[in-house]
Amino acid sequence: MVSAWLKLFAKSPFKPLIKHSEIVLKAVEKLEEALVAWSEGRKDEMLKLCDAVDSLEQEADKVKESIRDTLTSRIFMPVSRADVLLCLYFQDKVADAAQDVTKWLKVCKERSIPDELKEKVINIGKESIKVARNLHNAISQLDIVIESGFRDDEIEREYQLIREVEEIEHSIDVISGEIMQFVFDNEDKLSYGDAIFILSMTRCLTSISDRAKDTVERIRQMLAHS
Amino acid sequence: MIHLITTHPLLLVTLAVGLFMAWGIGANDTANSMSTAVGAGAITPAQAVIIAASLEFIGAYYFGKHVTETIRKGIIDPSHIQNINILIYGSLSALLSAAIWLLAASYWGLPVSTTHSIIGGLVGYGIAYAGVKIVNWSKLIMVVLSWILSPIVGGIVGFTLFWLIRKTILSAEDPLQNARKYAPFWIGLAFFIVGIMFYLKTLHGNDMIRSLLVGLAVGLLAVGVSKLVLRHYTGSGNPYKSVERIFRNVQVVTSCYVALSHGANDVANAIGPVAAVYTAIMFGSAGAKVPVPRWILALGGLGIAIGVATWGYRVMQTVGHGITQLTNTRGFSIDFATATTVLVASRLGMPISTTHTVVGAVVGVGLARGLRAINTDVLKDIVISWFVTVPIAAVMAAGIFKLFLIFIGG
Repeated sequence: MVSAWLKLFAKSPFKPLIKHSEIVLKAVEKLEEALVAWSEGRKDEMLKLCDAVDSLEQEADKVKESIRDTLTSRIFMPVSRADVLLCLYFQDKVADAAQDVTKWLKVCKERSIPDELKEKVINIGKESIKVARNLHNAISQLDIVIESGFRDDEIEREYQLIREVEEIEHSIDVISGEIMQFVFDNEDKLSYGDAIFILSMTRCLTSISDRAKDTVERIRQMLAHS
Repeated sequence: MIHLITTHPLLLVTLAVGLFMAWGIGANDTANSMSTAVGAGAITPAQAVIIAASLEFIGAYYFGKHVTETIRKGIIDPSHIQNINILIYGSLSALLSAAIWLLAASYWGLPVSTTHSIIGGLVGYGIAYAGVKIVNWSKLIMVVLSWILSPIVGGIVGFTLFWLIRKTILSAEDPLQNARKYAPFWIGLAFFIVGIMFYLKTLHGNDMIRSLLVGLAVGLLAVGVSKLVLRHYTGSGNPYKSVERIFRNVQVVTSCYVALSHGANDVANAIGPVAAVYTAIMFGSAGAKVPVPRWILALGGLGIAIGVATWGYRVMQTVGHGITQLTNTRGFSIDFATATTVLVASRLGMPISTTHTVVGAVVGVGLARGLRAINTDVLKDIVISWFVTVPIAAVMAAGIFKLFLIFIGG
């Protein structure tokens, strides 16, 4: 016998959503380690770290699916269900982007990439960790906003976290612009393969913060509905 | 008593069925009084069972009415029943069908009204015996109205109270500081209601002025005590958690009261018909009201307590493990809304159900954006179960009653 009291209070999607953002953060952290290993030429270690990113992405997928399964249209929540699902969708895309970067790392052979470029790539990696951590904080704050009964300054704190994600996303855009500029300024020194590798990987890397920004924009949407 | 039972086998059967019904009440209704407290983590499931079982028994034995109606809430007109055997078989049928329905509802995990179950049973045998004219239709319409009104009123009160707590405490710049200032007021208000209810529904008093005085005394006492206790309360770390802790302690007291009150009132659902049969057998007649011997009250209290301990325990355990998102301010709002609505309704003579009101209050607090997720599918199931309670209990009682007539004869 399962009590209807138990079933009446549906499983809240917010705790699993926080859990999901935690896994996403871990994946981005591992990716940064992989980038460092790549820049220092430690190939075996890099491959291991890439595998770790892979398995974290799969773990995130599982949490995502379980949230989707429980969050049916019959659940009544203080924020829009569609926004919660979109938030989850984009947050999962962050882990997907991290995994995409590892695909490039895995196929890359020994290359003579200039140190200046490597440094910029590592910088994006470090900034991406900041983005993922802020995203995790923003999702956790959402739970506090509900706990506080949508108190104004908790909402303000949430907006602050959202703005921080957007700011870091912008700084990453700047670095990726510099990378593109560098590649075309030095096109005679780089091979065709080097250029494809570095530009494609940068593009995947910037997706991490782009998708993180999409996610917090959904949170903004949730609060705007209120 | 032993002599009585051996000379009147039908009485023994009635007692057994009455005990069965009381058991069903305990099994199905414990969740009402304790689920918000358990769900909000104010008490553990084991504590809830011990508290509920003992308080339900005390409520039933010491505060249960010593005079009860032969027909619960006068839903059918007893003057149509001249034949004493009809009253005996009818009461038995009503009890049996109500108990079976409660058992089935508990099995499906649906919180239904025990009062409405027994009302359904009485209507069923009444119609089977004398046709539709025996039914007090205005009363029955009140019952149907209460399905709609009690959750709505409970919902509105729950919504308003949670909204006010949010405005005065949770949304304040310093929630803890404001809790020290405003929480005693909300607590006092809750105890004011509890005080009035204790006088009217537990002591079964009738004087309106006196009830207000009792309420005022209890309320002011609560304000004083909570002010004194909270004066030096600094909480720890998270201000929301500290605020919740204040309401947690209040919830323990309020849910204890709900259990006591439930024992005092709903025991009549099980022992009312038993008392009617007892009087009919012993004295050969029964009016609209009959006295209830102490030992029958004890029997009802015991049955409820056993129901709590056996089946209620499982409900508690699942609720305790499952609802982690119900915080104490929310639980307090739900308890308060329920108590207030039940009080007002009983003054107006509406036969409303606590169960319905609690569910309404849960939705109200949810609408005030207090709850993270409510399952509207389950809500639908619960509401459907309310609508079918009276008809199903009625049809079953009518069937059982006809069987009695066929096999034993009027």
